[in-house]
Amino acid sequence: MSTSDKEIFDKLSGLLQKFNTKNIELTETTDISTDLNIDSVAVMDFIMEVEDAYDIDIPLNVLSDTRTMKDLVKVVQSEIG
Amino acid sequence: MTQAEQKELKKTPRWTSGMNQIAGEFSTLTDGLDYAAHGDTGLNFYAPRGALEHVLPYRDLREKARSTGRKLLRAGLRGGERVAIVAETGPDFVITFFACQYAGLIPCPVPYAMNMGGHDAYVLRIEGMLNAADASAVIGPDLSKEAISEAAARTNTRMVLTHTSLQELDEDGELAPFNSDDVAYIQYSSGSTSAPKGVLISQKAATTNTRMILQHGLKVTTDDRAFSWLPLYHDMGLVGFLLSPMMAQTTVDYLATPAFARRPALWLKLMSDNRSTVCYAPSFGYDLASRRVSAAASDLDLSSWRIAGIGGDMVRPDVLHNFIERLGVAGFKSTAFNPSYGMAESTLAVTFAPLEDEIIIDVIDRAQMKETGKAHAASEIDKRNAPEKVRSFVACGLSMPDHEIVVRDDAGTILADREIGHVLIKGPSLMTGYYLNDNATNEIMGDDGFMDTGDMGYMLNGQIVLTGRAKDLILHNGRNIWPQDLEWAAEQLSDLKDGDVAAFGIEDEVGEEHVTVLVQCRFADPARREHVRHEVSMLVHRAAGVECNIVLVPTRSLPFTSSGKLSRAGAKEKFLSGEIAPLEMDTPHLVAVG
Repeated sequence: MSTSDKEIFDKLSGLLQKFNTKNIELTETTDISTDLNIDSVAVMDFIMEVEDAYDIDIPLNVLSDTRTMKDLVKVVQSEIG
Repeated sequence: MTQAEQKELKKTPRWTSGMNQIAGEFSTLTDGLDYAAHGDTGLNFYAPRGALEHVLPYRDLREKARSTGRKLLRAGLRGGERVAIVAETGPDFVITFFACQYAGLIPCPVPYAMNMGGHDAYVLRIEGMLNAADASAVIGPDLSKEAISEAAARTNTRMVLTHTSLQELDEDGELAPFNSDDVAYIQYSSGSTSAPKGVLISQKAATTNTRMILQHGLKVTTDDRAFSWLPLYHDMGLVGFLLSPMMAQTTVDYLATPAFARRPALWLKLMSDNRSTVCYAPSFGYDLASRRVSAAASDLDLSSWRIAGIGGDMVRPDVLHNFIERLGVAGFKSTAFNPSYGMAESTLAVTFAPLEDEIIIDVIDRAQMKETGKAHAASEIDKRNAPEKVRSFVACGLSMPDHEIVVRDDAGTILADREIGHVLIKGPSLMTGYYLNDNATNEIMGDDGFMDTGDMGYMLNGQIVLTGRAKDLILHNGRNIWPQDLEWAAEQLSDLKDGDVAAFGIEDEVGEEHVTVLVQCRFADPARREHVRHEVSMLVHRAAGVECNIVLVPTRSLPFTSSGKLSRAGAKEKFLSGEIAPLEMDTPHLVAVG
């Protein structure tokens, strides 16, 4: 059985919480790095946690086309495919 | 890769028994590789989670580079043409770089996309680089094809290849390796995204500088095994940890930069596993790793690590101190730290601290430095009791044989020890010039052969101490950030126009720079102000991937020079003194730092 987008979204939100220092509400359209104003090193930290949580490797080129929570859900969905 | 293949993968040895080490006595890069190919040493690439992924002995590298060189000729490239190569840390880039050396083509290593959501900014960057080198071809991994094609379509670059499509070609034509009077490669190191400058390095500069690094700086031996996570499109990665080790037949183990960024502690684990002896990183790399290593430090063995070089940013004493505290238990020696100074315009290396010496930290009096431009040693009382009155700088070492380093005042007079001025260098490692950019070359190259580095500093018993940048560069996490890039990104916003934005770094008490962006805003409505702030934050973030403090300021508050250029230094000074006051905002986190 496949994991639903909603489940992935919730899990990502949980992982993102500690980087979300200003407690900005997370929605599908939240731009992960710019809306939360986290720098590139912290983004890498977060991505590592996502990779570890799902045991996947997200290629860099894919990352450069990923902005929003919705984008990232899609990436995770296709990587765990 | 199947499990069986993975099992067969065996990393290259530290040294080839019976082989005589020749440390950099070659007249071209291909001469160096031809010799290294006689042994069993070479390059090993680790995957993001620490598994050995590719092994490329120098012997195979030479063979594949020669074959790929003939494929480049088959593709229609001709001697002297520029070939941009996406420098991912892996065999494909390295093979193609040396293929160019054998085919007489000029390789230009370019970065890969790294920032989240950074696609557009990346394409723009590559476009600028292709233009600066007037590149005929751009080659990258399959996944980068879309982005590099997009960039090439906006330039005169006629050929886009992936490593896969290149390897599918037949071999053709005669290899014509560069000789000792020829060029070697183009390195992008300076200039903003839209107008990058390509540093043209000759075979003579490359072979001289690598020889200096090997013989004078590192005093390399057959017991050495190098480790690197530095990007291969930077001088420290390319020259320090690909060309130099190859020119001494030394084995290198690599972890790709993004893999390091995600798992900094893996760096130390792999160095421990390999008993690595030489590795360089900017201060922030040591900072990241020591924060992440946690309790596992005692399981590591870093006692073989004899040179822990520091370069690429201002050396921060507090970071080095923390690293020693955390990693001493793993056998890391404080004398391994080696502050060094370098830049792409000098191929790489300019100065090295003497090996096995403790770091020299010069504590000076802040007020006197500001008033007199001299770095007077602080009093013992202030050092102990008044940390706010002193400033610590690290001595970055001595010049190399046949090379010179001097500090001069604005009028060009050579200054005495402890007098702060412009740092200039001279010697056979210097670049030929900025490719196709005589104006930029003439700006820094003097008739007397000295090149202005753009850095400020002072001499201390023959060692150079750097105090900052003369230009407006922002140093953040080991990266050079051009303020123009941030300003242009912000000015994309339709509410803003040219000259409305000033970006600069503000140093905190430990010397870490924080990016501050002042934005002139003409709106009185709080909601519109917040909108501008948010949009600017997003644009800047997307362009540079850095956390920054966006501060809205009144219109006509930013200062300009007499020639009508934005004065960033002036804006920073007025901001810090309070003369430029931030506009009132609704949200509390916009309070200015400083």
